[in-house]
Amino acid sequence: MSDPTQPNAAPPSPDSRSTTFQPVTGEAEHYSGEGLLVSAYALIWVILLAWVGLVWRKQSALDARLDDLEREIEKADAASARS
Amino acid sequence: MPRARTQRQDALFYGLLTLTAIGFVAEIFLVFFKVPTEARMGIVQKIFYFHVPNAYAFYIGAVACFIGSVAYLVRPTDARDAFARAGASASVTFGAVVLTTGPLWGAKAWGTLWTWDPRLTTMLLSFLIYLAYIVLRAFAGDGAGERRFAAALGVLGAANLPIIHFSVQKWGGQHPTVITGSGGGLQHPDMKIALGLGFLLFTLLAVLLIWVVARVELGRNRLRRAEEDAIDVGLDRRTEA
Repeated sequence: MSDPTQPNAAPPSPDSRSTTFQPVTGEAEHYSGEGLLVSAYALIWVILLAWVGLVWRKQSALDARLDDLEREIEKADAASARS
Repeated sequence: MPRARTQRQDALFYGLLTLTAIGFVAEIFLVFFKVPTEARMGIVQKIFYFHVPNAYAFYIGAVACFIGSVAYLVRPTDARDAFARAGASASVTFGAVVLTTGPLWGAKAWGTLWTWDPRLTTMLLSFLIYLAYIVLRAFAGDGAGERRFAAALGVLGAANLPIIHFSVQKWGGQHPTVITGSGGGLQHPDMKIALGLGFLLFTLLAVLLIWVVARVELGRNRLRRAEEDAIDVGLDRRTEA
């Protein structure tokens, strides 16, 4: 089978595609499994805390709308007291 | 709320949140790459650096619930009720993590996921009290009576905290007592650093969660009052028209 990493290699045909996945034998793994595991754990925490930040941001927007609503109610209350 | 105060509050919150996120990444790398593996239990012992600070954060939530509940019973305000409710929410969250990580460790160390050890039993009981608090607040309405009843539950729940803490000394059991008043049984400086950082980070996380939930509860109360005021001044009729 032709080597697709070679500059003059012919483009891969549908017949040359992978049909099986073979484990690497006789050499070290390319990525440390431990490093990936720890990175995954760290990422989970960062995502969780980012979510907490998003909840805070949404609440800020909600508070701003509540401020507006309370102002409108005060205005309406004052108007009804005058009339 | 004044705009300047809101901005200061936002800056403080986002600052603490960023610090906590960075701290957690550092803690995870410290625990898995720097702290030595424990000789007898192996890698499963590393659960300890998250399990124990989580239990500590559970206490923080429970104490917040207790303080908010006592303050509410003395003088009822929305803020005090929101603080108690946020404390109970944090306790349930951290308690659930404690009751999940503990059995994972136990499966390896004891060969069983659960045993009716005094500390495990009292911890489960306390978790169920705060879960009952949350369920009560979610389904029993939000009147003054329900709030007072929940506050009484918040005070009652705190009575169990010293029992959890001293259950190991008082009744024995299988639960380890590595952290003691005489300095603890951690035999390597990196183990102590990782645990210390864990305590600091889970304190920050507990503060952040209590803060967020209390703010949501206060917002909910403001919305309810605004709805009532809107009905009083006839704004609802205008909206319908």
